[in-house]
Amino acid sequence: MPKPSQSGHEANIAAALYERSGASAYGLSAGQFAAILDEILRKQVSSPSPGQRADFCAALRLEELALARACAAGNDLAWQDFISRYRQKMHSMALHITRDAAHAAELADSLFADLYGVSTRDDARRSKLVFYTGRGSLEGWLRTVMAQEFINRYRKQKRTVSLEEQTEEGVQFAAAVPDPADTPGRESTERLEAATDEALAELSAEDRFTLASYYLDERTLAEIARTLGLHESSVSRRLDRLAAGLRKRILAGLRTRGLSHAQAAEALETDVRDLQLNLRSRFVQDSGPRSFPKGSG
Amino acid sequence: MNARAGRGEKMTEVPKIVYDRLGAAERDLQGRDALDPAHPNADLLTAFAEQALSPTERDGVFGHLALCGGCRELVALALPAEEVAAETAPGRPALIPAKAARSWRAVFAVPSLRWAALAAGIAIGCALLLVRPGTLNQAKLPAANPQIATAALPASAQQIASSPSDQSGPADGEIPKSERPSSKKIKAGRIASHTPQAPIGVAAETAASAGNNTAVRRSLPAEDTLMAKNDAPPIERAKPALQGSESAQPNVNLDVTWEVAGGVLQRSLDGGQTWQTAVRADHPLLCMASRKEDIWTGGRAGTLFHSADGGVTWVQVHPSISAQPLTLDVVHIELRDALEIAVSTSDLEVWSSPDGGKTWDKK
Repeated sequence: MPKPSQSGHEANIAAALYERSGASAYGLSAGQFAAILDEILRKQVSSPSPGQRADFCAALRLEELALARACAAGNDLAWQDFISRYRQKMHSMALHITRDAAHAAELADSLFADLYGVSTRDDARRSKLVFYTGRGSLEGWLRTVMAQEFINRYRKQKRTVSLEEQTEEGVQFAAAVPDPADTPGRESTERLEAATDEALAELSAEDRFTLASYYLDERTLAEIARTLGLHESSVSRRLDRLAAGLRKRILAGLRTRGLSHAQAAEALETDVRDLQLNLRSRFVQDSGPRSFPKGSG
Repeated sequence: MNARAGRGEKMTEVPKIVYDRLGAAERDLQGRDALDPAHPNADLLTAFAEQALSPTERDGVFGHLALCGGCRELVALALPAEEVAAETAPGRPALIPAKAARSWRAVFAVPSLRWAALAAGIAIGCALLLVRPGTLNQAKLPAANPQIATAALPASAQQIASSPSDQSGPADGEIPKSERPSSKKIKAGRIASHTPQAPIGVAAETAASAGNNTAVRRSLPAEDTLMAKNDAPPIERAKPALQGSESAQPNVNLDVTWEVAGGVLQRSLDGGQTWQTAVRADHPLLCMASRKEDIWTGGRAGTLFHSADGGVTWVQVHPSISAQPLTLDVVHIELRDALEIAVSTSDLEVWSSPDGGKTWDKK
C-alpha cells in the first residue's frame, strides 16, 4: 500500500482512538494522547507492525487511560471525575485488603497521596498514575497497587517484630537443620527429587500455578477459580487430575532411575520430607515480591 | 502439614515430595531475584487477573506465578471483593457464615448424608410439582421487543426470565409476587454463598483485548429499584452469581452504580461499598454504558446485552448486517440518544443502530 494512504489510515485510527478516549474533555490534545500511546507501545511491544499497533491500542482501556494521565498532568476536571469514581472505592478496596478500618483508611489515604503525587523528583510532582497503561481496568490496577503497598508494609512490620515473635515462640532454640549430605538415604532422596522435578517440569505453567496456589499457598478452590476465570468444580477436577498424574509420572521417573515398582511406591510414600517441610514453610512465609521492575507501578 | 486444613475441601493429596520441590523451585527464584529482581508490574498483573492478556503473555505470567509466592499472594489479595462483600457487608449479615458453610460442606462430604440430602431434595421437588403444577414454565421473555429478546438467552434464563407484564401482575398460575416465597431468594443466596460462580467464557484466553470500563452512578425512583421490588433480575436468577448479598433490604441507598470488572457487569446499591454481579455472560464483558433506564453491556466475541428497565430484565442482542453477525470484541458502547446506539469493536469498526438494536449499520 502506498505510504501516504497508509499514514492517512494510521491518522484515522489515531483520531478514532482519541475520540474514544474522551481525552479532549480533560484537556489532553490529540498529539499528547498519541505520545502517551506511543510510549506505552514502545514499552510493551517490540517493533510493532501498523496492524499490531492498532490492535494493541484498541484493546487498551482508553477512557480510563486518558483519565489517569490527565490526573497525572494535574487536570482539575479529571481529578473531580477520578475522585467521584474511585475515592470511595479505594476505601472499600483497602478495607477488603486490610480487614481493619484504621489500617484501611491509612492505606487508602497513603495511596491517594501517591496518586496525587506528593513525592517529588527534580522538583516536579510525580503522580503514580503515570504508571497506569490501560492494559487492565483502572480499578483493578488501583487494587493491585494497593495490595502491593499493603504487602510491603506488612512485610516491613513483620521483619520489625519478628525477633520478639521468635523469642515468644522459642524459635531461636530450634534444633539445627541437619546437613542434607549427612541425611541417611540421600541417594534415594536425590532420585525422588529428580523424578519429581521432571514430572513438575512436564506440566504447563498454568497447572504448576494451580498446584502451588492450592498446596503451597493453601488458597481455596473459589479463590483459584476466580484467578483462573474457571468454575470452582473445574479447578477441583483439575487438581485431582494433576495429583493423580503427578503420582504416576513420579513413579515412572523412579522406575527409569532403576527402582522396582514396589521400591518406587515405597520411596514416594515415605514421609522423609516432614522435617524439610517445616523448613520450607518458613522459607515460603518469608518469600514475597521485594520490588517490581524499575518503572513499574 | 495438611494444605486442606480449614478449607473444607476434599482433594486428592499429592506426595509430600511435591510440596518440597514446589517450595524448592520458589527458593531458587528467590536466589536469582537477589541478583536480578524481575516481577510482573501492577499493570500486567491486573490485565492477567482480568483475563485481558494474550495467550502468550498469560502463559508467561503463569510461569512466573508458579514460582513466585509473593506475586501469587499479590494477585489473590487484589481479587475483587465479591464473596467477601457478601459475607461482611455492614447491615447485611451473611445468610450462612463461612465457618458454618464449611461445616455443612463437611457434613455433605459423608457419602450417605449426601445421598440422603439428594433424595430429600428430589422428594421436595416432586411435592412442589404436585402442589403447584404448571408454575415452572409460566415465565416468558419480554414480548415487547421480539427482535432482540432472546433467541440466544441461555435456556435457563428463558425459563426463568419474566416479562415486563409479569412484573406488574402475576400470570395465570404464577405465584403472585407478594406470595413469592422470599425463601426462594434466600435459598439461592445460601447456595451461592458456597457455590462456584458461572464460568467465564473460554474465549477469555483467545485474544488480547479489553474495553472501556465505565462506572455509572444514578439514582432510581424507589419503585424501580431492585430492592424495592424484592426481585432479582432474571439473568441473575438464571446464573446466580452472587445471590448471597441479594437478600432484600428495603432501606438501602437507592444509588445504583454500574461497572464492568473482571469480565462481569457489577452493580452497587450502596455507593460502591459492596458489589453484586448483575450479568455474567458466556464471554467476558468489557464495557458498559447507560442512559436512564437503558443499560447496555458488551464484551468478547460480539457479546451484547441490553436492559431497558434499569437492570431488572436483560436480553442478549445479536448485531448483524446482511446476516453477518458481529463476532469481534465489543470494546466501547456509546448511547447517542434515546434509541441510537453505537458500539466500537476491537478492530475499530463502529456498528450503530438507530432503533435500539433492531437494525445495524457499520462504518
